[in-house]
Amino acid sequence: MKLKKYLSLTRIGIIESRQFRLATVIMVIGNLLYLIVVYFLWKSIYASVETDVVNGMTFTDTLIYLVLATALFNFMEMYAVWEMGRNIQSGKIVLDLLKPIEYRRYLFWSYSGSFVTQFFFTFLPTFIVVSVVTHGAVPLGINLLYFAVSVILAVLINYSIDFIVGTICLYTESIWGINIMKQVIVLLLSGATVPIAFFPEPLKTVVYYLPFQSIYNAPLTLLLDGSPTLETVVTTLGTQLLWCVGMTLLGKLFWKFSLRQITVNGG
Amino acid sequence: MKRKGLGFYLKIYGKILAQDLKSKMSYRADFIISTIGMIFTNIAGFVSFWILFRNFPSINGWNYYEILFLYGFSLVSLTPVQCFLDNNWSLRMYVYSGDFIKYCFRPINLFFYYQSEVFDIKGLGQLAFGIGTLIYSWIKLGLGFTPLILLKTIVFLITASLIMMALQNAAAATCFWIQNSFYLLDLTLKFKDYAKYPITIFSPVFRFIFTFIMPIAFIAYYPSLVILRPDEVPLLSWLSPLFGCAFFWFSYKLWMFGAMKYSGTGS
Repeated sequence: MKLKKYLSLTRIGIIESRQFRLATVIMVIGNLLYLIVVYFLWKSIYASVETDVVNGMTFTDTLIYLVLATALFNFMEMYAVWEMGRNIQSGKIVLDLLKPIEYRRYLFWSYSGSFVTQFFFTFLPTFIVVSVVTHGAVPLGINLLYFAVSVILAVLINYSIDFIVGTICLYTESIWGINIMKQVIVLLLSGATVPIAFFPEPLKTVVYYLPFQSIYNAPLTLLLDGSPTLETVVTTLGTQLLWCVGMTLLGKLFWKFSLRQITVNGG
Repeated sequence: MKRKGLGFYLKIYGKILAQDLKSKMSYRADFIISTIGMIFTNIAGFVSFWILFRNFPSINGWNYYEILFLYGFSLVSLTPVQCFLDNNWSLRMYVYSGDFIKYCFRPINLFFYYQSEVFDIKGLGQLAFGIGTLIYSWIKLGLGFTPLILLKTIVFLITASLIMMALQNAAAATCFWIQNSFYLLDLTLKFKDYAKYPITIFSPVFRFIFTFIMPIAFIAYYPSLVILRPDEVPLLSWLSPLFGCAFFWFSYKLWMFGAMKYSGTGS
């Protein structure tokens, strides 16, 4: 059975992440603080203008968008760049390369366990709290299905970007710098810091042609739109699928090419 | 043990610093990439404010340049913690592996010796960016320039630094009691993102929390008031240098208390 070996990696991941209970508690506190800051910040920002709607977004829309973007970030961020970088520096990567499983897949599936726990412990509670606090401003209907599909695609795109960036570590032996650059670019250009709807014109168009908006903006736009037209759904998911395939292929090729170049310190 | 003077410590710091810089220079690519990464982070913060203020004229009565001033202020005040106390991030690893015991056998101040081992140069990029932002907003706000205002700025920058250092020390010191202090450290790192907003945006309850329980308002807001709003400086701003020293002293004692009860791992 082919899937079984992957699912056992998932299981290990779940058990592993359950070991760090205190870490989960602190992370929840940190998230809570962040939500409080975002809430008050945008409340006072919206209080400074006369209109309720700015760039097609109300205060509630913006709040849901940003809060869920953070929840998605916590759920998707798996520090793959760190893991790869550390393994490259310590030489442990040699052991992983010898495993009878493709490294790219191995890494993904060994993180899948934390996806599952993060989903239930951070994303779902945040989602429920937001729906209750905003008195059902999140439309619950067919858009949830689109959202789910879109999130899965987003996870894959995010992982591919991480993997490509991690491969760069093979050459530079710099982890912190590469990782922080990636994180900053992704968070800003994906709309996780400020919703893309607020971006000024030329920048907005440029951002739509980049893969990053497919990570946070695409799923959240689909979620917030109560009755999306078929056209919107198809173009959004289609763009995501294109990026997903493109980035995966690029990552695979780059990795294959780089593997021939590396020198690893004796592990 | 005879107490060593300040000159003695400065001399030792210079020597250790030189060694550290030499070892860093052997990873030149890493150094360059990390510095660029640091500047990226700061530019991203700048850009998100720029986007925000293209849509909104002000936040809670604070205009674009005043907010930039707060941002620049927080960046400059974060430099010492970045440059001098970066080894706090590794503390939990040393404690966990037992390597920390080597620091306990030196005839100099334990805290000083431990922190002096790492000097993080990329903090200097942040310092330059922060000073640039401060000067830019200073000119745009037409604050004027007198020796007195310069003295005030320096005193309050030091105050803010002391508080940030205290927060980080205390968070790092928790690793003497709990296994994984990384999440607490990461939480204090996030504080700096919240510090760049005026505290008046929060409701009274959170204003109280962010002033007395998690003193992030002292990182930029209270000290900046002295320069930005000289007519309505609250008592807390004037008291903040005292608070800074007290917090730092307390965090140092906590750190040393943890280190003194450290018994090694036996290896």
